[in-house]
Amino acid sequence: MVAGYGFVLPTMVLFVLFVGYPILHTFYLSTAQWSGFGEASFIGLDNFVRAAGDPVVQRAFLLTVGWALATTVLQTALPLVIAAMVAAVPGPVSVVVRTALFMPGIVSFVVSGVLWRLIYDPNFGTLNAAIQKLGFEDFNHPWLGSADSAIPALLVVAVWQGVGMSMLIFFAGIQGIDPGLNEAAMVDGAGVLQRFRHVTLPSLRFVTAIVLALNLMNGFKVFDLIYVMTGGGPNNSTQVLGTYLYGLAFGSASGSVPQLGYASSLSVVVMALCTVAVLFQMRLSRRAGR
Amino acid sequence: MSTPTTSMRTQARAVRWGNSAVLLLISIATVYPFVWMILTSIRESNSVFGGSFFPERITFDAYARVLEFTGFMGHYWNSLWMTTVTCGIVLALSTLCGYAFAKLRFPFKNTLYIALLATLMMPGTALIIPVYLQLRSFGLLDSQFGLILVYASGAAPFSMFLMRAFFESLPDELVHAARVDGAGELSVFLRIVLPLARPGIATVLIFQFLSTWNEFLMANTILQTPEKLPLQPVLFSLQGEYSTDWTTLSAGLTLSAIPVILVYVFLQKQFIAGMTLGAVKS
Repeated sequence: MVAGYGFVLPTMVLFVLFVGYPILHTFYLSTAQWSGFGEASFIGLDNFVRAAGDPVVQRAFLLTVGWALATTVLQTALPLVIAAMVAAVPGPVSVVVRTALFMPGIVSFVVSGVLWRLIYDPNFGTLNAAIQKLGFEDFNHPWLGSADSAIPALLVVAVWQGVGMSMLIFFAGIQGIDPGLNEAAMVDGAGVLQRFRHVTLPSLRFVTAIVLALNLMNGFKVFDLIYVMTGGGPNNSTQVLGTYLYGLAFGSASGSVPQLGYASSLSVVVMALCTVAVLFQMRLSRRAGR
Repeated sequence: MSTPTTSMRTQARAVRWGNSAVLLLISIATVYPFVWMILTSIRESNSVFGGSFFPERITFDAYARVLEFTGFMGHYWNSLWMTTVTCGIVLALSTLCGYAFAKLRFPFKNTLYIALLATLMMPGTALIIPVYLQLRSFGLLDSQFGLILVYASGAAPFSMFLMRAFFESLPDELVHAARVDGAGELSVFLRIVLPLARPGIATVLIFQFLSTWNEFLMANTILQTPEKLPLQPVLFSLQGEYSTDWTTLSAGLTLSAIPVILVYVFLQKQFIAGMTLGAVKS
């Protein structure tokens, strides 16, 4: 019994100091007005009331939710189809494809963000250069610099980085399907698409639930990529909750005075969204597991 | 009977070829940015814009520049040792703790376990403010040690979770037998259990190495002295300083990605097992 506590103690101490207490502290801070120095003043739920009426927060909230839904759909549907295709090609091709598709997933968001900024560069970027070669000679669209194209441009990078992981999970799931099911379907004359629809998809219900929930959670957490590539701009058009609250607390969005209380109230909102994702996962995996 | 089988075989072959072609195209498109990055890093700096896809002359000047002007090696070293120490701490904490949750009995075990797990999905942005304040009150702001503590405590629950799953798969008899021989819990753990846990340990280490090496938000916020910074925040600021010098920028990106790509290529099997297991379990 003593040994049990002894083994667990070091982890628990660090956890309480740097995770557990900070979470509780966030809730406290969200009810305060504080620059980080001097006394914090308790203002009840005013921060949340202010957040609800702040047009930047409204936008950021909708964008965070929209981003999470979009990445979830794209990073679940594409990898599922790709995984099914990978499962049907000869071994060597399969290895090459899996290695290639997973590669973007292992570099940091800073590396991918900086790299894609060069690709999207309006004057010298590879993307515009390629479009110019197709015959549109004065094409120099500022992909990240215009409010209309910034979000789709960011989504492309997120999907580029996220497809590999989900694809591998689906691929592992497909490998686990009883080959007899496919053979039986073939004997019954089912074509490729019918087998995908009636054998592969139903067999992957549980895996799909996991991938959906995982992508949803990661979607709500979005920060690094947007911070690196656009910093929330232009004109707050790519501002998500994470980048906005970070700016309020540590950066430029607050002007000169850090607004730790107001920023913390947004942290609470982010936590709430992530909790929703977890509950969604629990529900989904219970249903999928019958 | 033979006609449908033949047509099916033809169809299967067509599908294999079609799929292969499409997938290889997707693969090329996926890897293209990396190829472009490496090619840019070995170009002459005046041939970046408007030059051909493959550089006409190869030069490593950009690497010399990034090493000379940015203190790159110092930051590289910071990333390397901080990642290594973090991996060590996380490994020690998570094996001990995971083993206790899997095989030992003590009051409130489940409560503690659930408390640890409940926070797994908490994003960094939601914690950065209180963590920053906590470090400040300990006098650990701008301290690499403080940052390592934050990394270790944030990562330990997840690794503990992986290790626990691993230890649970070991038979109870193994532990009982060693106890009957009079070994204390710590020596059972160190001499019997830990050596059997190598695959689990490899998974945890690879996962941890990658996530610590790539971490940006905490490092960028907690450390201020330039000499103390690991690579990611430095790369971020290079983006501003070298915004027109793409060869130097690409050289920096390439250098920073080399360790993770090496780990990925050489330990691909464990790596993918770890990443997918990690993803599925969380």
